[in-house]
Amino acid sequence: MSELKPTNRKAELLLKAAAEGPIDEVVAMDTVAGCATTFDPGWEIDAFGGVASLCQPMEADLYGCSDPCWWPAQVPDTMNTYPNWSDGKPSAQNDWRELDAVFPKK
Amino acid sequence: MHMTKLRALAFALSAVAGLAVAATVRAGDLLVTGAKPDRLYVIDAEKRAVKSEFRIPGANGIVGAIIPSPDGKVAYVVVNKMESISGIDLKTGKEVFRADLSKPGERVKNFFALDVTSDGKELIVYELPTLLKPSEYQVEDPRFAVFKTNAGLHAKVSRSFPAPRRLHMILMRPGGKTFYAIGFDLYEYETATGKLVGTHGIQKWQLPAHSQPDLLAFWPVTEPTGVFTSPVISEATAGGAAALKTGMMVLDVRAGTLEFNDFEDTSALIFSTVLSPDRKFAYGVYSTLTKVDMASHTLAKRVPVDHTFYSINVATDGHEVYIAGAMCDVGFYDPTSLERRANLKLPGCGDQSLASLRVIPAR
Repeated sequence: MSELKPTNRKAELLLKAAAEGPIDEVVAMDTVAGCATTFDPGWEIDAFGGVASLCQPMEADLYGCSDPCWWPAQVPDTMNTYPNWSDGKPSAQNDWRELDAVFPKK
Repeated sequence: MHMTKLRALAFALSAVAGLAVAATVRAGDLLVTGAKPDRLYVIDAEKRAVKSEFRIPGANGIVGAIIPSPDGKVAYVVVNKMESISGIDLKTGKEVFRADLSKPGERVKNFFALDVTSDGKELIVYELPTLLKPSEYQVEDPRFAVFKTNAGLHAKVSRSFPAPRRLHMILMRPGGKTFYAIGFDLYEYETATGKLVGTHGIQKWQLPAHSQPDLLAFWPVTEPTGVFTSPVISEATAGGAAALKTGMMVLDVRAGTLEFNDFEDTSALIFSTVLSPDRKFAYGVYSTLTKVDMASHTLAKRVPVDHTFYSINVATDGHEVYIAGAMCDVGFYDPTSLERRANLKLPGCGDQSLASLRVIPAR
């Protein structure tokens, strides 16, 4: 920690808190608080470094992954921020054109 | 004589005579699956046709794990972004049970792990709670919550007890005194008290020359044998060279035995299998349909399927293999040749996604 120097007030507070020990124990997020349940590679490459184990086609797998927040980088976070992203689009195979990109609300 | 009794008698007679099950003797199973946005389908397996299409109130776009009651009359379904359990009468489609897990300020998710006691009176639900504070989410400890199944549409937790993190399946043991919970390891708990009475290694397995294994236990299928199976993947170092191996985890929920046996170099099967009624073969599905010889622990046969399927099951008498999940097809396959006999497209073609495919035997 000594190699790191705080550059703002919040970081200073964090270092102070760490030194004094009041920070809560870090626990695994498991599956609920954020939309990141795993760090699987995603749709581009399978768990074994190839493509043979990817779902065919990827639309078959889209809701199976996005509903439980499997791969948050590729789809909107439907557990927290965009729960209605796929409303009215029950078939990824037929409705994929309507599964739009999302943008933060201003 | 009632037709189902006649069928049962014919089946019993053929078994006593040591005959293969005759082509005309059928189990008369019903299949249950779900699909987006709120559908629950009951399928006549012999007619290969949808018998009933129900809409689950407040499904909110997701139909997940499906747990039939022991008498086969009610299906308990995870819905509403995994925050509610809905019990649907499989004859009428009426919602007869509802547990909304979240409450203001606390969001509770259920990731597939739930089961009903063998007397049908209680539902054990794995809860992942998070406190929604003004400026932060605070992760709470997971727990088992117990609901009375006769609690109606506003079911409240009757008791709860601590649970480990990362569970994805609960399997009630016959008699209902204890249940298994599958996560990083296999745990066994007393249903009445929540006392941990046993832990068996999955991540901490003691298999020589194998790395820590990986599995995805999302599909709570133990029918027709009372045995849960799942592919399990690890790196084996026997013989000096490391290689990824796919094995079968075989958990006999009745006998309480747990086995792991590699059957091939990892290639095509990563989750979702079912054991045949004679326990000689396991069938698995993903982007292929796979048959595993459970005596020799070898790959028996593999055929391509039209697209990825997530869930698999088998007829109660073993005469047909069913595949479903992911998209809107339910496939009917020959258990010997793995040839496709028929394909049923669900009305409306909503994605089944992670919905379970369950078989309810004729009664």
